[in-house]
Amino acid sequence: MSYESEGKELKELLGLKGSPVAVKLAKTVADVPAGIPKMSEKTRHCQFVQNARLKGVKGYATREEHQCKGGAGVMGIETLPQAVASGDMYYKLGNFKTAEGALETVTAMPKSTENYYASIYAPLEAGGFEPDVVVVVVNPKQALRITQAYLHATGGRVSSDYSGIQSICADAVIAVKERNVPNMTFGCNGSRKNSGIADDEVIIGIPPKSLASIVEALKTFKEKWG
Amino acid sequence: MRETTKTIVLTGVKAPNAAITIENIIKGAEDRNDIIFMISPGSETGIDAIAKKYGYHMEINADGKNIGARFAPVSKAMKEIDVTGDTCPGPAITVGNHLSSMTAGDRVKVKSGCSDSIEDIAMAVKAAGSKVVETGNEDGKHFLIAEKAIKAAAQAGAPVEKDKLLIVQSNGIGNAERAYATFIFSKVALSMGKTVTIFLLMDGSSIARKGTAAGVKHPAFERLDKMMDDVIKAGAKIYVCELSAQFRGIKSTDLVPGAKLAGAATYLELLSDPSYTIANF
Repeated sequence: MSYESEGKELKELLGLKGSPVAVKLAKTVADVPAGIPKMSEKTRHCQFVQNARLKGVKGYATREEHQCKGGAGVMGIETLPQAVASGDMYYKLGNFKTAEGALETVTAMPKSTENYYASIYAPLEAGGFEPDVVVVVVNPKQALRITQAYLHATGGRVSSDYSGIQSICADAVIAVKERNVPNMTFGCNGSRKNSGIADDEVIIGIPPKSLASIVEALKTFKEKWG
Repeated sequence: MRETTKTIVLTGVKAPNAAITIENIIKGAEDRNDIIFMISPGSETGIDAIAKKYGYHMEINADGKNIGARFAPVSKAMKEIDVTGDTCPGPAITVGNHLSSMTAGDRVKVKSGCSDSIEDIAMAVKAAGSKVVETGNEDGKHFLIAEKAIKAAAQAGAPVEKDKLLIVQSNGIGNAERAYATFIFSKVALSMGKTVTIFLLMDGSSIARKGTAAGVKHPAFERLDKMMDDVIKAGAKIYVCELSAQFRGIKSTDLVPGAKLAGAATYLELLSDPSYTIANF
């Protein structure tokens, strides 16, 4: 099964509002797939995801195009700003009662262990490249179906971890890329306020290798449950 | 050959979620390589059961702040060696050499017709930081199964790890049995992965004079100079007491390759280092 057909089937089987988004991190300019243009606007990682999801925008963003330095920092595209790495920013924003709590949270936040030149975004069905992670923005019922589909083949339980900060970058991309298992996150203030993640939506990062079995399970569910 | 160990950071993920995530990672892994999971203290609940369930050997290394849980796949094929008929120190050296070439989690089955030999090997296995996971009798022979373990880093406040051996030899070739014991014990210790230092002083200093050890040969053992050469090549350091050498007219140019003169300060420093076990011959 190709990513093109998986992308289309995911949209159809789940009734997604937009496209699943293929996200890839490129180490050098040579790793950017042919035909993928540089993003024409400077914005946040979560907005690039939303633009690919809802407007079909595909492109790559270097550190110059990344407006949110925290997002670019955890993805290894640039150094994480000191104010974020120390927890000071989130402490001052009021996320945490103590500076220690803020520091503990940012220390535990998933961060790329490698450096990258750019992040690449495209609707899954139109990307034409091998993604590192597929990000879907879904409502709770669609999230339930994805969870059930992930467990359909071998059973078990799903665990997601998040901290209410840096969600679409750290939780939905880096955690998934490093661990190779899905992770769900509820977004963060930035992605909710600036990138249009709706109140009734959550975000799930899915490793590409799990897509085929998820799609197959969703088809089974469709047959059984309608 | 195994690929590079992957490290996955799960710090901050509480129990039981850390275990659930680890299980999903292990379950979906495309290959069976070593993985280190970095987790927070208190999050290790249940992960040993996951290692067991999926055929991994787990070792915990803690640095006080975080925990590294290393999952190493238990090899399906277990090596088997039979040391029946070998006498001390042969079996311990054979098993020690096997262990040193194995990866954490690998197992080796050692058989012998002599139960004492198996007990001695068990001591060597444990001293090398590995584990004896099973002992018993089979086909009229005694056996043990040893599993290579990852030696945990010593933690602050923990008892000092005695992973070095200092052999003090002061009798020289006048007592051939003690002279032989110096190098036989060195060989065994080296095969157990220990660091070996030999300090030759008083009459012992003459052993390192070129030609002296070549004149010592017991029918059951190799010539003494060859045995000394073997342990030097295997990494043992040999110091010769400068004062004892001077007393006997031995100069640095008279010493066998690999032996060097050392003063009283070196000797006293070695004696006061708590990581050394000291044996006198």
